[in-house]
Amino acid sequence: MSALGKTAAVIVTFNRSAKLMKVLDALDGQTLRPDVILVVDNASTDDTQALVEARAQDDARIRYLRLAQNVGGAGGFHEGLKAAYRLGAHYFWVSDDDAYPQPDAIERLVQAITAFEAQHEWRPSFACSRVEWIDGSLCEMNTPRPVWDWPRFLTARTPWALVDSASFVSILIPRWAVEQHGLPIADYFIWFDDAEYTRRLSRSYPGIFCPESRVIHDTPDNRGVNFALVDEKSLWKFKYGARNEASWRRRERGRMGILAFAYGVHLQMKGGNVPWKLRREIFRAIARGAVFRPGIVKV
Amino acid sequence: MTSMTALAPVGEETAQRIEREIQEIVAIYSRLYPTQALSFLVYQGKDPVWGAPVVTEGAFTFQPEHLNAEFLGQVDRPGAHPGAPVVTVQVSIPRKPLPSESRQMDAPWSPMRRLRALYRLSPLAYETVRYQAEMQRKRRAGGHSHQPLPRGDGSALLAAPAPAQQDQRPAILIGMHWLEVGGAEKLGFDTIRWALEAGLRVFVAAGVPSIQRLADRLPDHPDVTFLRLDRYLPHPLWPRYVENLARAENIRLIHIHHCRPLYESLPQVRARLPWIRVIDSTHIVEHADGGFPRSSGVWSGFIDLHHVISRELVDYYRDRFQIIGQVRLGRMLERGGHPASLPEPNMQPGKKRLQVAFVGRLYYQKRPIVLVEALRALSDWARRNDVELAAKIVGEGPFLDAVRALISRYGLADRVALLPADAPVPEILRQSDILLLPSNNEGLALVCYEAVEQGCIPISTDVGSQAEIVPKDLLVPLAPRACVKGIVAAVDRLWRDADFLSRQREALVRSWTAITSDPTAKDVLMPVYQKAAAGLQE
Repeated sequence: MSALGKTAAVIVTFNRSAKLMKVLDALDGQTLRPDVILVVDNASTDDTQALVEARAQDDARIRYLRLAQNVGGAGGFHEGLKAAYRLGAHYFWVSDDDAYPQPDAIERLVQAITAFEAQHEWRPSFACSRVEWIDGSLCEMNTPRPVWDWPRFLTARTPWALVDSASFVSILIPRWAVEQHGLPIADYFIWFDDAEYTRRLSRSYPGIFCPESRVIHDTPDNRGVNFALVDEKSLWKFKYGARNEASWRRRERGRMGILAFAYGVHLQMKGGNVPWKLRREIFRAIARGAVFRPGIVKV
Repeated sequence: MTSMTALAPVGEETAQRIEREIQEIVAIYSRLYPTQALSFLVYQGKDPVWGAPVVTEGAFTFQPEHLNAEFLGQVDRPGAHPGAPVVTVQVSIPRKPLPSESRQMDAPWSPMRRLRALYRLSPLAYETVRYQAEMQRKRRAGGHSHQPLPRGDGSALLAAPAPAQQDQRPAILIGMHWLEVGGAEKLGFDTIRWALEAGLRVFVAAGVPSIQRLADRLPDHPDVTFLRLDRYLPHPLWPRYVENLARAENIRLIHIHHCRPLYESLPQVRARLPWIRVIDSTHIVEHADGGFPRSSGVWSGFIDLHHVISRELVDYYRDRFQIIGQVRLGRMLERGGHPASLPEPNMQPGKKRLQVAFVGRLYYQKRPIVLVEALRALSDWARRNDVELAAKIVGEGPFLDAVRALISRYGLADRVALLPADAPVPEILRQSDILLLPSNNEGLALVCYEAVEQGCIPISTDVGSQAEIVPKDLLVPLAPRACVKGIVAAVDRLWRDADFLSRQREALVRSWTAITSDPTAKDVLMPVYQKAAAGLQE
């Protein structure tokens, strides 16, 4: 267990200044305030920069990294984690610009990860919060994936399940994990970057799901990531998701992995009665993913 | 301390100078090595600024070259106890500068050997080649790091060092680049005065060895001490010296003005003296490598407050280093003392006599050759338009001879007057219609500001933060030919177009008003100094 606990919050934002300010308010109210708050701005065209600047005038913890262009959430988290790592932080609390951590969310994550290490000697590669939607229900898209022996250390007093995949919404990553496994893949642009990254981190040891740390994800609706839900409006995102996951499956499980993935996607889309025109687009994205091999950048 | 063995016979003045310098050297190394036995091998220096110190920690073995022709003798300072470890310092006493060196450190400028023929043929073509080379360097400058150095704050498990009880009044260490003429140095001298005013004792050191011509302008005050580290202390030894100085003299604040060895001392300061507050002031982003603002950003994890003089620098720290809250804009202007409103411009449309001015050091940064080319082009323009043109160039520097020769070559000697640096600038600006600044780079040239207050309209290259004071239509490109053309076009339009002139005046009033309402450097720094003087921690 480390005696060092410099914590950097990394928030990636794009054109959602009002929500971002609520996130910064929530960080201000934390029982364990991050030592650094790095706002990564994906070249917003709204008043994000002015509002962050005004706030940072009185809060030297806030740093503002404005990217030259919108490189998507994946690129933003890649750049943000890289910058925060270089600032010497020992824990990185990574989150979206529309997720409001409850006052003790970060403290609970830090406590959980350090207590887990102290009690079990294993080092969790991350700790993630329970992400709730605005009505208090579980946020579908931010549901972590448990490993087969998820309850191994779970008790009534330490309710931490082992998970190997989580989203970039209130997740605490220790420095050693970044050192060992590198940064999120920027080339993914959007979707599956968090799943790929946390699965990569989990090669050392799974992460832990900490239900006592809560965060409210202020999304327009509470939809999961399921190819049955593909429609015209969301097609572009699903295409990124299909390409990125196909690429990951190719890397981890070879060609058979892609075929299994494509079959699973096919069943989901069939179940959701997705129009054939959109299905073709998704399959094309999977085919692109078969030859898409982005590199992993180490710190 | 044993006396020197080989000083006499020499003139009294030389002996006194050597004695004085040796005292300085012994004081510096006694601070650095308070308990060790110090042995100084003293040499007669060949250059006027640098003592070329070489420090050997441990037993020293003499070699023939240690007793060379410049060997003056030895000075020993016993250690704190008989078995104290020995430190040997080989150091030269810089010779007295020649009168020509005292006047001007840099040799007169001459074109590069390989491009001399080109310069003879066309000075503007020569400048263009130089400009292109510099822009190429700028493009390659991306390789310089813009990453802040990571800094660990340590764990609460281990207690951080705490200051010892001190009886002495708090002090400040002000690190300058050097004590020569320059914008950063002007601010450095201002801060020395403000620190005294705040009640701090002031230690001043310079990072670059030079004659330090302005050393005699340091306040003649018992609380001001100029440490000649620039001459006698190698940069790698600064950190330990700074630590010992800070402990002995109750230094509470370090203010860095473009002083590289002080930046390099920051890890020592942060590790050993975490209670000391560190501030720095930066002025100009250099084309080639970002200059001191880049260094400052790289060291930002070790610095509490970055004072900057322009909005360009505020943006630079934000965009390149993601820092906002630690950066404070403080203009290099006096609070008050400004006119309530600006006078009408001296320039009037269709004016028959046009007076042009240039004020600045004649160094490449100000591009004196481009200036003369602009004056030549303006002279042609004036002849075509039946205008009588006169120009005054105020300033000195290595380009003076080249400027004089070029003025003569272009037949401008009857229209262009060369004036010394101490010429009355406000009066000259009051008599001038146009101020030319064809600079290669600027922070925010104060002379523009002075010009505006005297009714003189500045025309400047679009570099640094000049856009904060000079209206867009009066900013000209940096490329030499385009710069000359741009200056003539701007003057022509001001001279012909009354509406244009009026719009420029309005824009100048706006920018002048905005700048005067910004905090001044003193507004930003004085509270920090006063807190340090009162012994308060942030």
